[in-house]
Amino acid sequence: MLHTDIIDSKVKKLSLIDAEKFIASNDFGASLIFSGTVRNQNNNKSVLGITYDSHDALVIKSFEEIYSEAEEKLNIKNKSVFIEHAKGYLNLGEISIIIAVACKHRDEAYVLSRFIIEEIKKRSPIWKKEHYTNNQSDWLKGNPIIYEKN
Amino acid sequence: MKVKIELFGAARDFNDQNLLELDLGQKTTIKDIRNKIIQYIDQKFNGNENYIKIINSSAFCSEKNNIVSDNYKITNNEKIGIIPPIGGG
Repeated sequence: MLHTDIIDSKVKKLSLIDAEKFIASNDFGASLIFSGTVRNQNNNKSVLGITYDSHDALVIKSFEEIYSEAEEKLNIKNKSVFIEHAKGYLNLGEISIIIAVACKHRDEAYVLSRFIIEEIKKRSPIWKKEHYTNNQSDWLKGNPIIYEKN
Repeated sequence: MKVKIELFGAARDFNDQNLLELDLGQKTTIKDIRNKIIQYIDQKFNGNENYIKIINSSAFCSEKNNIVSDNYKITNNEKIGIIPPIGGG
């Protein structure tokens, strides 16, 4: 089971309760909820907030591919996965991403959760613009997406 | 032919409308688009080196939401997305 979404911060906030509800099942004995939040420091600069930008269709596609690949690469067949990412402006402490996973056993849950966040960092077209206390703002550098011939 | 380039991330700073409209010849490829955007930056932003670096390290996305190579041929009126280096989470 997979749930994915991009949440516009002007419309609603990401919810840990929604994630917990989605993955809840008697089929699974291990569940993990990872959340990423906006922190107040980066590269020795005082951060006030972050604007997230997203190519929504490509991001959702990448989430679906990562979910499918987890089955092929990690051999984790029975699982429930909830992935949501925010877009728009977020204040300090607000949640930018939730990855909730439920599996039969804890080993699978830890491996799967880590796999998903690392793949999102590499592949999902999401960008951050940090806003600083000195009224400046900067897009973070990021990693290029490499074209891979299918 | 006219090609619309949808801007994302750091490339949004290239234009207030988040979209570039380029006039290109027939049989245009992503490589031609990359060069045309660099020309635009040369004219509009006096060859801003950071912007040119962004263009050279960007991927491009077809209207069907596939990341495409520099040899990809654009169809008339196709909307192409520029995908600068990413970093979500």
